[in-house]
Amino acid sequence: MSDHIVKAYDQELEVLGQKIAEMGGIAEKMLSDAMDALVDSDVKLAQATINSDPRLDVLQREIEEQAIMTIARRQPLAVDLREIIATIRISNDLERVGDLAKNIAKRAIKIAADVRIPRAIIGLRSMHDSAAMLLKDVLDAYSQRDAERAHGVWIYDADLDALEDSVFRDLLTFMMEDPRNISFCAHLLFCSKNIERIGDHATNIAETVIYLVTGEIPPIDRPKGRTMLSETSTTVG
Amino acid sequence: MTEVQIMTQDQETTKVPEALDAAAEATANGGDAAVDSGVADSGEAKENAAATQAGAIVANRDMAKDRPMTAVKRTPNLPEKVSVRNLSFFYGESRALSGINLPLYTNKVTSFIGPSGCGKSTLLRVLNRMYDLYPKQRAEGEILLDGENILSPDQDLNLLRARVGMVFQKPTPFPMSIYDNIAFGIKLYEKVKRAELDERVETALKSAALWGEVKDKLRASGLSLSGGQQQRLCIARTVAIHPEVILLDEPCSALDPISTAKIEELIDELKENYTIAIVTHNMQQAARVSEYTAFMYLGELLEFGVTTQMFTSPELKQTQNYITGRFG
Repeated sequence: MSDHIVKAYDQELEVLGQKIAEMGGIAEKMLSDAMDALVDSDVKLAQATINSDPRLDVLQREIEEQAIMTIARRQPLAVDLREIIATIRISNDLERVGDLAKNIAKRAIKIAADVRIPRAIIGLRSMHDSAAMLLKDVLDAYSQRDAERAHGVWIYDADLDALEDSVFRDLLTFMMEDPRNISFCAHLLFCSKNIERIGDHATNIAETVIYLVTGEIPPIDRPKGRTMLSETSTTVG
Repeated sequence: MTEVQIMTQDQETTKVPEALDAAAEATANGGDAAVDSGVADSGEAKENAAATQAGAIVANRDMAKDRPMTAVKRTPNLPEKVSVRNLSFFYGESRALSGINLPLYTNKVTSFIGPSGCGKSTLLRVLNRMYDLYPKQRAEGEILLDGENILSPDQDLNLLRARVGMVFQKPTPFPMSIYDNIAFGIKLYEKVKRAELDERVETALKSAALWGEVKDKLRASGLSLSGGQQQRLCIARTVAIHPEVILLDEPCSALDPISTAKIEELIDELKENYTIAIVTHNMQQAARVSEYTAFMYLGELLEFGVTTQMFTSPELKQTQNYITGRFG
């Protein structure tokens, strides 16, 4: 894509892109650290994760301000307009991902003192790996402006939903086995919900990327049901 | 054919001997004579062979004509008030429009955008045969107004210009009273009694959203009005004779934002009863007022389609480059 005649316009768009990249990096790290803190009962790591969240909020606010100014100043059209709208939407999704990861970290602190059923966390680990892959893929798709890759993410979220179902059933079983498990499992239930929500946000970002690149909004009904996860092996974290 | 492609791809030019480069440059600047001078400049025997080859390549290129990609998306089943068919236009020997094909849908606003010199004002002027006023300007092809070709030699030009009205960039009120500005055109075409004339003037001024501001000074000179008011007076004058099509050539370029807004509002109202074509340099205005947009470049129609689509997601890269200010 060639440059705008007015260079300041290009610079404004570039700043927006950089901030999204920064938000994406922070959100990915927060998710990964929160999961590690949960698995390892690492209170310090969990606290560090919680402390990362304000930065995300600041970035989101900056992005919104900058985007609105650019709209007022440049009256963007076509791809520029879609670009700026995409930036606003993605920053919202990433800020929510950060909040959800922070929430997981908070619960990690709460259950660190008394981990009743370590194997209950394994299911969550699988969910996390899936969600982290979706997030990484979709952020790559955004930076490459790759609509096909985004479409892949858009479809694969179905797997995460299915995983959440099975984790839910497992946790219910543990709770029914022994009432003393309830508090611990309840926290894990919330964590699994949060991870599933992160997957949904990745899907939202995917839709935005598809819109940004093609100018078309994907249909309302995502294909549901089991599919293979992405074959491109990407190690998370 | 492949030879032509070598000439047009930037990354390949380094492989092409300099004589061919010179020939390509010369053709771009126009004329086979330039190719000959390119040969003379090089002056070396072995380059003559290359130059002859260049001559052959240049000929191929002329024939292929490097037609750009176009994207014309018509809406089916919509009545066309005006159909432009294969229109070409010449100022003397110089071609200003090439093979234009597009519709003006009935009671819709179609905007024309494109960089300076692309032919949009020229196209507008052909639609009511303004060029007939000037020698050495000629049009080829067809323009159908309600199915009849207005470019045919036996077209009544006065009648045509009564059906297809035009408003120019610079307001052009007659040096008469406001009342007479409107009445003049009516009296030219019709025999109208005084009472009816008063009514027609009032209706016209109302449809141009000017009545409230001038009703108490109809005898004042048209030139005493502000720029925005003058332009609305011109629009009132145009609609007074009940045309069917209104052509607007950058009607708001010389106006302040409030007058511009009033005229845009006016266009919204007028399109209920008229088919409107508007040339504008203001992308946002084109996006606001029109339902269809035509993007022109160097005398060709590159893209045509629904306005909202063109401004959010155009088909062609050139269209996108132009409307986003990447045209370099």
